[in-house]
Amino acid sequence: MDNRSVSIVTKVFIYLVMSVFAVLSIYPIFWLLLQSFKTNQVYLTTNKLSFPAEWFFGNYEFVWVRGGFSTFFSNSVIYAVITVVLVVLLSNMAGFAFAKIRYKITPLLHGLFVVGILLTIQSILIPLFLMVNAVGLYNTRLGVLIPYIGLGLPMGVYLCTDFMKGIHDELLEAARIDGAGFLKIFARIVFPMCAPVSVTLAIITFTATWNEFILMNLMTAGDKYKAIPAAVGRFAGTLGSDYGKLFTSLSISLIPILIFYLIFRNQITKGVAAGSVKG
Amino acid sequence: MKTKRLLALLLASLMAFAFVAACDSGGSGSGTDEEVELRVLNYFSLVNPGALEEIERVWDAFEKAHPNIKIVREDEFEEPFHNATEAHAAAGTLPDVLYVWPSGRSTTLHSQRQLKDLGPLVARDGLAQYYSPEAMNPALQGGGYLAMIPRGLTATNAFYVNLEVLNAVGLEPAKTYSELKAQVPILRDAGYETVLMANESTWVMQSCLFSLVAGRFMGEGWETKIHSGEAKFTDPDFVAALDFIKTMYDDGVLDQSSLVLDYGDSPGLFATNRAAYYIDGDWRVGDFLTDANTGEALIDPARQENILMTVFPEIDLPGVKFNRSNSVVLATGWGINANLADGSAKLEAAWTLVKWLVGQETLTFLVETGGIGTPSRLDVDFSAMTLEPLQVTGTKFGDEYDRATAVIDGVFDGPVYTPLNDGLQALGFGIQTPQQVAELTQAAFDAWKAAQ
Repeated sequence: MDNRSVSIVTKVFIYLVMSVFAVLSIYPIFWLLLQSFKTNQVYLTTNKLSFPAEWFFGNYEFVWVRGGFSTFFSNSVIYAVITVVLVVLLSNMAGFAFAKIRYKITPLLHGLFVVGILLTIQSILIPLFLMVNAVGLYNTRLGVLIPYIGLGLPMGVYLCTDFMKGIHDELLEAARIDGAGFLKIFARIVFPMCAPVSVTLAIITFTATWNEFILMNLMTAGDKYKAIPAAVGRFAGTLGSDYGKLFTSLSISLIPILIFYLIFRNQITKGVAAGSVKG
Repeated sequence: MKTKRLLALLLASLMAFAFVAACDSGGSGSGTDEEVELRVLNYFSLVNPGALEEIERVWDAFEKAHPNIKIVREDEFEEPFHNATEAHAAAGTLPDVLYVWPSGRSTTLHSQRQLKDLGPLVARDGLAQYYSPEAMNPALQGGGYLAMIPRGLTATNAFYVNLEVLNAVGLEPAKTYSELKAQVPILRDAGYETVLMANESTWVMQSCLFSLVAGRFMGEGWETKIHSGEAKFTDPDFVAALDFIKTMYDDGVLDQSSLVLDYGDSPGLFATNRAAYYIDGDWRVGDFLTDANTGEALIDPARQENILMTVFPEIDLPGVKFNRSNSVVLATGWGINANLADGSAKLEAAWTLVKWLVGQETLTFLVETGGIGTPSRLDVDFSAMTLEPLQVTGTKFGDEYDRATAVIDGVFDGPVYTPLNDGLQALGFGIQTPQQVAELTQAAFDAWKAAQ
């Protein structure tokens, strides 16, 4: 449609609708940040939508220093980065094999991988805990990372296999004729072509790992290996919450997600679109 | 070139993985022969009053005083605490010392005797004389033996009275339910609610009010009669107790808006004079006190003089067996893993730690910071403490009632009290009758009993 054919009224309407959605998305984050500058006492006794009468920065100091948030934060980064890199890499490799190396047992192996999508963390929590304990990985970062990677692979393998099936075999055969081996074909042709699905997978894995709580909390004891979701929960309880510190810890935990989005926003948009088309 | 980059990326990831593994392996050092290492599962929430001071005053102080005992503490809170307990129990890796409930969520640990019987150790060290009889009564614990030593006693009904509001409208604190009911129109006309209560979560009504009401209508020991089959939830007394809750809504003493009030929001509303009265547990006192971190209090010490803490007024209606009672349950406390061998150094170390955690010094600290209301030890000296007015009121709270009756979720299992909790909310919404709630609860109890 020609842009000039869109009337001013329509444009105003479109911008209005988009503005409403933008406010609906941004306002909760803005509200969260505002409340993080209130003490619990002020939050509980004043209008919940108001600006702080006095900006209280003590929550940030308390959460970061006395609440030991720096340790939780670095653990979250370690878990998220390593999990994302390995899930994306291994899923692409496995996807390439399942999509392009046809063998009798390929469908069976692929099925065994993909059936993992049906597993919920809750359903395998206790057996997983027993296994992690049995191999001496309880209260170690590996005890968290290995299940994270294992749980991320089914969806990753499914997405990557499906995506790679769309890559023409002729392209790969041409590369083979030129003397390229599997690894070279994967690295120089297939992997770059899979950027959209890799970004989609990275987004899914990053957000899932960053926000995951039950498994990480169960596989670790003490603060040394716990991640941000465990720290956030410490400010909330059935019998009472410290809202100022709770909102502060939530605000801090949002920062990496926001940075991730700001850096990769173009790829995320393309990736989600590509993922939705393929999915 | 890209192949090299890919390989480099893969290599870097594997190196990071290996690095993490190497870091991990360095963190699991074992103790020397002379040193006893104790694994402890602690319930720790930063929202607890004095939580951060607890690390220094309780845990660090113990290790300083006992350099041969090394403590490996696992801090958990809320549901994750219970998940961790269940997982450890299932894996056979229960820690040496555990924070436990006297029943309720820790019932399995009690009933399966996964906790050490502390009776012989208490007798050996002559400890019973320092504790209230309830704290040392094995019958009040889930397994019928002394599996834990509670840190205190919890009164689940506290009736907070705001004299600022009452004075503003020229009223005196209500002594009976009829007086309370008569105050409703006066308070309403002045823009106040009569009784504030956060009933969005269904446990609040059951724990903080209905348990007391059921005790007053059913009499002492009613829960044992239900368990033995002597009484039923469908008996007229129990139905009358449920009917009283409905009456409170019908009379406007409780507003239906309380059914959508979040438990976390209610202290702020009471502190800002929204209502003349507030129903909660005795544990709420700690939330009104001065926060050591901010120096602010929800109700500052000067205003605390205007807050009274008593029990629900006399219910002057037919069918009530007694008044001046409260619903009381043992507070949480500490137990020891049953697998620790008798006479072993580890058991002695664990017992030393438990004695410290429920000892005079620790309980004094917990009372001072508002962590507990009524300590289980009898030798905690309130007069030597610097307390805020509301804390002082809290220390005398036990004088406000003469009898203690059961807290329902402390003496019945979840499948039994859950339909009751839901029914109490349904009464408020007017979608179930007291008779229906009683029948549903009895059906749930029968099903639970059949499954045992």
